[in-house]
Amino acid sequence: MSGTSSLAVEGAQGAGAQPTVEIRLPADGAYASVLRTLAAGLAARLDFTMEDIEDLRMVVSEAASLVLDQAAADTVLTCTFDLSQTDRLSLEISTDTTAPASADYENFGWQVLAVLAEDAAIETSATRFSVRATVLSAIERDAGA
Amino acid sequence: MTAETSRDNAPPTALERTRARSAELFGEFRDESASSASRDGAREALVHLHLPLVEHCARRFRNRGEPLEDLVQVGTIGLIKSIDRFDTERGVEFSTYATPTIIGEIKRYFRDKGWAIRVPRRLQELRMQITSATAELTQRLGRSPTPRELAEAIGCSVEEIVEGMESSNAYATLSLDASSDDGEDGAGQSMLDAIGVDDEGLEHVELRESIKPLLESLPAREKKILLLRFFKNMTQSQIAAEIGVSQMHVSRLLSRTLTQLRQSLEQEDD
Repeated sequence: MSGTSSLAVEGAQGAGAQPTVEIRLPADGAYASVLRTLAAGLAARLDFTMEDIEDLRMVVSEAASLVLDQAAADTVLTCTFDLSQTDRLSLEISTDTTAPASADYENFGWQVLAVLAEDAAIETSATRFSVRATVLSAIERDAGA
Repeated sequence: MTAETSRDNAPPTALERTRARSAELFGEFRDESASSASRDGAREALVHLHLPLVEHCARRFRNRGEPLEDLVQVGTIGLIKSIDRFDTERGVEFSTYATPTIIGEIKRYFRDKGWAIRVPRRLQELRMQITSATAELTQRLGRSPTPRELAEAIGCSVEEIVEGMESSNAYATLSLDASSDDGEDGAGQSMLDAIGVDDEGLEHVELRESIKPLLESLPAREKKILLLRFFKNMTQSQIAAEIGVSQMHVSRLLSRTLTQLRQSLEQEDD
């Protein structure tokens, strides 16, 4: 995600504000619910429907659990939500890893994520493991069609 | 009494007998001069006499995720309360008086005890409001409502809706991990043991594994239709719009693909 570059912010409500929300949490499954609630809160701001929000919560859960599996001990989970567009919410969850695993596309969690989200991707490097996904808003999609 | 004379010869119906017996027992129960043993006996007999009423009330609430036996038990508490409070002077039938009390007790049980995680009363009520408003708005809008639409319909804030969604999940957890270690029989058993069937999910894992290669071999369009239908829960007409074919065509493709999959699975089993 090209974090601080000055994107043309279309349809963002908060004038001038950088529409990115970032949160850092201990890499511990206990915080997954915080992440889900945050995601739901953000999606509510974007006027996602309840169904889309349920999808998003699932995507966040699966992405978080994929990333948590790879997290090194005592690291943090970094989660970025991109709110620059009203018809979609893109997110990236990443963490430091000591033993970088190759992306496992057979994982059931990944399959669920891939079905519910657009542009889902797993990125691995020597020290980072991250999952990206975008959830679309049904309202905007219908209006655009 | 005189109006009844013509029917006096006919044998009394079960209902009439119950009513007569009930009135008689209430007489004994309220008799200040009687011994406490006989009054207790009358109270006991009244409870037994009216138990079918409790069962009738409890049955209205079955299939809501709570065992019927529990509901009968809770309803019986309502029955006992109404026996103790019933005023024979009022001139109404006991069943008329007791039914709302019994149902009230069962409803209270659902509200207070049905939750796996104790959720504040305010959120429980909000959840019920969200559920009914969601159904109503989905009907009206032809799609799932947004939290803001729900908030406007209910008259609360968007934050509260998000909070309410979170608490709905607390109700849903009422399930297999609830252990019934308080019972005499089957102590320490979980609900899963009591149900006594294999977890459907396990079977699905196996199925999913054998279906996976078959899915992979499907043409891209057929695969997409399956995913949209069964993973995204889209209706056939929604899929038709998404893919750009008629709904009839989607229906045909779906049933054809499913038949193919089923046949391939069966062949594998042979």
